[in-house]
Amino acid sequence: MVTFPMPIFLPESDIAPVKARKQEFYEGLTRWKLDSAETAAERGRMVTIEAADYEQALTRFNHLAISNLWGDGLPLWLPTPQRVQWILRGAAAPESLVLGKMPPRGAIVTVEACALALAMAGGRPEYLPVLLAAVEAFLDPSTNSDQLQAASGSAFPVVIVNGPIRRQIRLNSGFGCLGPDPQRPAGASIGRALRLMQQNLGGALPGTGAMANYGGMRYTNAVFAEDEEGSPPGWIAHGTERHGFEPATNSISLAFASGATNIRRRSAKKETAEEDALQGMHRMADFLRTPNLHCVPGWTDGTPGVLMIPNIVAQRMAELGWTQKSMRDFLWEHSKIPMASLTRSGSVSWIEVDSNPATRASLQLDPWPIAARPENLILTVAGGGHPTNSYWLQGYSPAVVGRRIALPSDYDKLLAEADRDLSCGSDACAVD
Amino acid sequence: MRIEFHDPSGTIAVSQPHAARVGTLDGKTIGFLSNEQWQAHRMLPLLKSLLESDFPGARVLPIDAFPQGNAEIPKDATCALVQQAGVDAVIVGNAS
Repeated sequence: MVTFPMPIFLPESDIAPVKARKQEFYEGLTRWKLDSAETAAERGRMVTIEAADYEQALTRFNHLAISNLWGDGLPLWLPTPQRVQWILRGAAAPESLVLGKMPPRGAIVTVEACALALAMAGGRPEYLPVLLAAVEAFLDPSTNSDQLQAASGSAFPVVIVNGPIRRQIRLNSGFGCLGPDPQRPAGASIGRALRLMQQNLGGALPGTGAMANYGGMRYTNAVFAEDEEGSPPGWIAHGTERHGFEPATNSISLAFASGATNIRRRSAKKETAEEDALQGMHRMADFLRTPNLHCVPGWTDGTPGVLMIPNIVAQRMAELGWTQKSMRDFLWEHSKIPMASLTRSGSVSWIEVDSNPATRASLQLDPWPIAARPENLILTVAGGGHPTNSYWLQGYSPAVVGRRIALPSDYDKLLAEADRDLSCGSDACAVD
Repeated sequence: MRIEFHDPSGTIAVSQPHAARVGTLDGKTIGFLSNEQWQAHRMLPLLKSLLESDFPGARVLPIDAFPQGNAEIPKDATCALVQQAGVDAVIVGNAS
């Protein structure tokens, strides 16, 4: 590979360095050799540190995590064999099972590697089934995770969890569901573990393996539960609606997003309930109607984003006659972007260079819909029971991939141990 | 005390070695795979002219001889087209 500083890649740049360094191109074709002869077993190496006590060992490990680029800068747990084995109790599959390779670096992803990351991230064994399903989905080629990991758009995985496991492992679907939440901490650990894998196995280090300009949401990614209990009657859970899983199936759904924004949904004065609902819908659609091009990669098969609305809003709107379908249809219809707006912002050329012929052909549509069909938009009930806001995870997602969550045979025992360790709160008791 | 822990960076197994390099570019057929971004439309034609000047015996294919775009480059169909064209070496650019 012949690399140049960024300025040469900008419009009207001086490309003379290409000529000056032409020999490097020639040698790349004739003399280049892989400088690594790595061939290894799937099991990683062990590292030993000497310390006076565990406190000092933990400190030394965290110093090593910084110097060896293993961490995210926040404190980590030591991935000792004991801790990793404890986490592995949550695996239904053998620890040596290979799930794939984490791009772009390509380190091998095993069940054990997932447990290792979860151990470092402060996770627990009962979280591991969700992480394993999320990693499987992440590695599905249709997600383009190999490109999104490295690209500049700061894409991060969004994992929506359905099924009884949500409450069993203390995964938040309510107030502060994107974290942090000490009462329902599972999402932070699971998402952080996935992020550590992206970095440590995938090599997605800022400025080298990951060119994300900003990297927002990347400490923990976004892992939350759909508020199935708070959804209005007739609403279909996301895992069932999008992926066809049977209702009450433990499952995850993974998409990529490149932004996270609050939308002021509630009306402010003496509006009627109908006006409040309609104004909120328009405000959300107006926000979605941004020629930001995030929706182009997922135009046909992925998603323009994940719109989260609180249960109290969904229920009130259902009382007014709105359905899951009518809300999504409305948002799709009213988020269409006038071609004049796309043209003015230069967005047309980004659609013209898209690899998907159907996406390119969509330029015939004026106004231009942000997705090929309303169903591409993920509309989900989540967030605390307060009517003022909704939340938009701006998609950057060629696909939305679902996976069933596989549980080990003694999962109930793990949940009981979690209750013992964490106490059984009023809304977070493992065994309902 | 000694504490042992797992190396978090995992392991890499090279199961698909990179293609062998050609000994010389003289007499060879050289192709381009362009993603048409990051000034590839200027830099790759410059490289083509340099190759033609420095290796008069080489056959340098047009920049657009093969499908272009980030999504097109890794496709098996594109790879097959490159092979069918009898290309000995290929320059891929520009990285995004």
